[in-house]
Amino acid sequence: MRIWSQCIKELAQFRRDRLTVALAFILPLLTLFIFGGAIRLESKDIPIAVQDFDNSPLSRSYIERLYSTNQLQPSIWDGLGTAQTAIDRGFAKAAVIIPPDFSRRIKSEQPITVQVLVDGTDVNNARVIRNSIQATTRFFLKTEGLADQPLINVHSRIWFNPGREETLYIVPGTCAVILWIYPSLLAAIAMVREKEQGTIVQVYASSLSAVELILGKGLAYLIIGLGIASVVILISILIFGLRFAGDPTPLLVGTPIFVGSATLFGLLIGTRVPNVTTAVQAVATTGFLTALLLSGFIYPLSNIPFPLSLISNIIPTRYFIPIIRDAFVRGTGWLGVWFGLIMLAFLSLLLFNAARRNLSRMQLPD
Amino acid sequence: MIQVNNLHKRYGKFPAVRGIDLTVQQGEIFGLIGPDGAGKTTTFQILAGVLEASEGQVEVLGRSPRHARLNIGYLTQQFSLYLDLSINENIRYSAGLREVSRQHLAERRDRYLKLMNLDRFGDRLAGQLSGGMKQKLALCCALVAEPDVLLLDEPTTGVDPVSRREFWDILAKLASQGVTIVVATPYLDEAERCNRIALMYDGKIQQTGTLKQLRANLGLHRLEVRAQRLAEVETALLQAIQRKKEHDQEHQKTSSLVDIQTFGDRLDVLVHEHNAGTAAVQQILQNQRLTVEAIEPVEATLENVFVTCLRQQGADPPFISLPRSKPQYSTRRAADTAIQTQHLFKTFGHFRAVDDVTLQVHYGEIYGLLGANGAGKTTTIKMLCGLLEASGGQISLAGQTQDLRSPDLRRRMGYMSQKFTLYDDLSVLQNLEFYCGVYGVPRSERRRKIDWVLEICGLVGQEDTITGRLPGGWKQRIAFGASVMHEPEILFLDEPTSGVDPLARRQFWRLIEDFARRGTAVLVTTHYLEEAEHCHQMGFMVAGTVVAEGSPSQIKAAQPGKLMEIVTNQTQLTADLLKTQLDPWRVSIFGDRLHVVLDQPDRQVPEIQAYLQHYRFEDGSPLILQSLRSVPFSLEDAFIGIVQRAQEKSL
Repeated sequence: MRIWSQCIKELAQFRRDRLTVALAFILPLLTLFIFGGAIRLESKDIPIAVQDFDNSPLSRSYIERLYSTNQLQPSIWDGLGTAQTAIDRGFAKAAVIIPPDFSRRIKSEQPITVQVLVDGTDVNNARVIRNSIQATTRFFLKTEGLADQPLINVHSRIWFNPGREETLYIVPGTCAVILWIYPSLLAAIAMVREKEQGTIVQVYASSLSAVELILGKGLAYLIIGLGIASVVILISILIFGLRFAGDPTPLLVGTPIFVGSATLFGLLIGTRVPNVTTAVQAVATTGFLTALLLSGFIYPLSNIPFPLSLISNIIPTRYFIPIIRDAFVRGTGWLGVWFGLIMLAFLSLLLFNAARRNLSRMQLPD
Repeated sequence: MIQVNNLHKRYGKFPAVRGIDLTVQQGEIFGLIGPDGAGKTTTFQILAGVLEASEGQVEVLGRSPRHARLNIGYLTQQFSLYLDLSINENIRYSAGLREVSRQHLAERRDRYLKLMNLDRFGDRLAGQLSGGMKQKLALCCALVAEPDVLLLDEPTTGVDPVSRREFWDILAKLASQGVTIVVATPYLDEAERCNRIALMYDGKIQQTGTLKQLRANLGLHRLEVRAQRLAEVETALLQAIQRKKEHDQEHQKTSSLVDIQTFGDRLDVLVHEHNAGTAAVQQILQNQRLTVEAIEPVEATLENVFVTCLRQQGADPPFISLPRSKPQYSTRRAADTAIQTQHLFKTFGHFRAVDDVTLQVHYGEIYGLLGANGAGKTTTIKMLCGLLEASGGQISLAGQTQDLRSPDLRRRMGYMSQKFTLYDDLSVLQNLEFYCGVYGVPRSERRRKIDWVLEICGLVGQEDTITGRLPGGWKQRIAFGASVMHEPEILFLDEPTSGVDPLARRQFWRLIEDFARRGTAVLVTTHYLEEAEHCHQMGFMVAGTVVAEGSPSQIKAAQPGKLMEIVTNQTQLTADLLKTQLDPWRVSIFGDRLHVVLDQPDRQVPEIQAYLQHYRFEDGSPLILQSLRSVPFSLEDAFIGIVQRAQEKSL
């Protein structure tokens, strides 16, 4: 079995290279901790200033309600000047101005406008703050039993109930990105290093076929990639508290296919570029950027504008993120993810074929 | 076994191979020699089936090379090994690629590792082996599939003489077992061991034949001339040749002297006929009142054939002295010491790379540091250049013992390292400009110096070529040029001629000698012992210590015992027989003859004679001893003797 001997050799080389082993297992964990721990799409403890012209029991309980979420907290504003100055001076990210007739008009069930000023420098934050204040207001009205509003925006609920759900959203996506980047990077380097050191000539001089070469190398890095996958997912479960929400078999089937496609992508890059530096750059730019931006990891797929949305259709990460999120968050099982699995298998075949065609001659270039 | 007809290969518009025909028989060692860029590597790649030919028929074992790949073993110029795998892993992988069954693998691995003397190191990483061991391992990997044809593309480049000799002994053994071997080598002395040799130049095969045939075609003989004032003798003879040449052009008459080459303490003169040549040389020297110590007629070497053939093709690189701007310092300080070390040590962990080295080099002297791979030569040079901190001992450079890294001192030194020091992704011109800047060559001088380098490399008009695309030998020449543009007083050359073809090597040495004559102290390491004869003084290093020192003649004269040359009708068999009687290192094959080192010739010669004459083959026919005579030690024989004796002593 020449594929097997190719695979064994790759694994032996991988094991020998301490640096690569360290990179293969430490970098993914680092990425996981950075994405899973440090990056938060939500905001916490945003200072807001409140100017209460009403100063009634009702308005004070409204203010209390605002501060009772962990998103907003009173600013250190001294109350001098207008609320705007608090924002201008950077004491507060937002100001809530309660009009004098606040409690009177609510009690008489007349509509009332509470003015909210939000610092728009950080667009993302501004949206979060606005949503948060709106949601708090609705919640306040409901608990007071004053306004019966059945239409509560589900989306804003996420911001309203922060904490664990954020991790649930980010960490599985991070796992997907990690499992795309690192196996492909390692595979690309393994392929291109043979070219750089001239050992590829020996492979050409044997009658090993392109298919055997790709499968042999691919198998080795699939095994390594699955090693990374188990470490990363285990850490996610132990440290980030992820739990399987339902049937884990789609994930167990999907992960090898996905890691396989990442490996094949790396090998494809490896067959095209001349040296390690270029390979790393190629994988980093094409692999990392697409996996990060066009996969639905951070920005919802529906938000990707037209021509780019076509590209996102051929990015394997796009199909794996729903699978892994389903396993840990939704738990619908096979029913929800079968299409993604088929697409992953299809894309893997496509990548395999492209790599094979690049190598088909198994000869030196002219 | 190999049949090539009218083979062509073009890279884009550039023709690399322009119509080759060759036939190689089973069990033959076929040598392919030629200068850099002659198309040897391309030919090998086509024969190995890793490159498509542009035109022509190539058949290996009666099939196209691609279909014969499983029966071909191919060793590339670069080490064809995975350096991060162990010996066993490398072999297992090669076996896997070539579908060798498990039982065969174990048996062959043990057999070949034993043959290569590598059986004790099975778990060592390939990257930790010496150059010679790496190439033996690469050969092992190729052999594990028991190929019928071995293609070896400069397998011994950069390998020390002892390992090279072992390597060739193994090749001879394989050939006698019926393996067909095609081999390229830049070492012409070892190419003499081939059954047939093809001379390649400019994409074509110029001559093919056995060593004898090639010599006969050449029609020239060699005289070794030893004299006291060698430089003057050389000038006198060169002038005579020059005069004769002018004379010839008028009268179409052949001159008796053809070519001269200096070797440290002797001159090689090529003549048409021994007696007339000897007479001519004596005549010329008498006219100039120069005394000759000895003139010895010997057979022409393959190098003579090669150089003469290439000269006819007009491939001789020009010798041009470096345009100088600094005053000559030869007269001022000829007697002064340029480089001096005392009890120099270097340890890496527990390993003593350099152990108590004391040496002295004067201005105007060429000092050769010789030794096997890993003997500590490069480490010594690195310490002298200040690239490595010495663990102990004193170094004095140009009279300075302190502050060896000072910019002022460094500007007076030149260093060319073993690995290419050029930037592969810059053009030749950019590289040279960079080095001009680094060594502080004055701006007004730069153009002249760069032109000089381009001229000696034969690259005028191609200065914008990307350096990485040039063959290794050319890069070496550029690197040499780059390291001497600032006219250093002290020059360190670490294997400057590794992988450089014979003609260019001659040019190298003429340049080096020119520098020495102008007062530069040169410290050089080399693996080519034939060219080590150019050195005035040399030191042999074994395991970090200098074990022998002196001029080439002194070293050869200091050899105990005698060197015998034996010619029989069964060279390989005779070698095997003698190796059972004597230490294996004492017996080596040179083409169709054997060299045997004997410590007590008076007693041993009759013994060997009797032993060989009484040997009978299975069918009762005798071994025919054609000749047995004493020959002078070559430097290589001396080297191997010294290294082996030093190792025996340390064991």
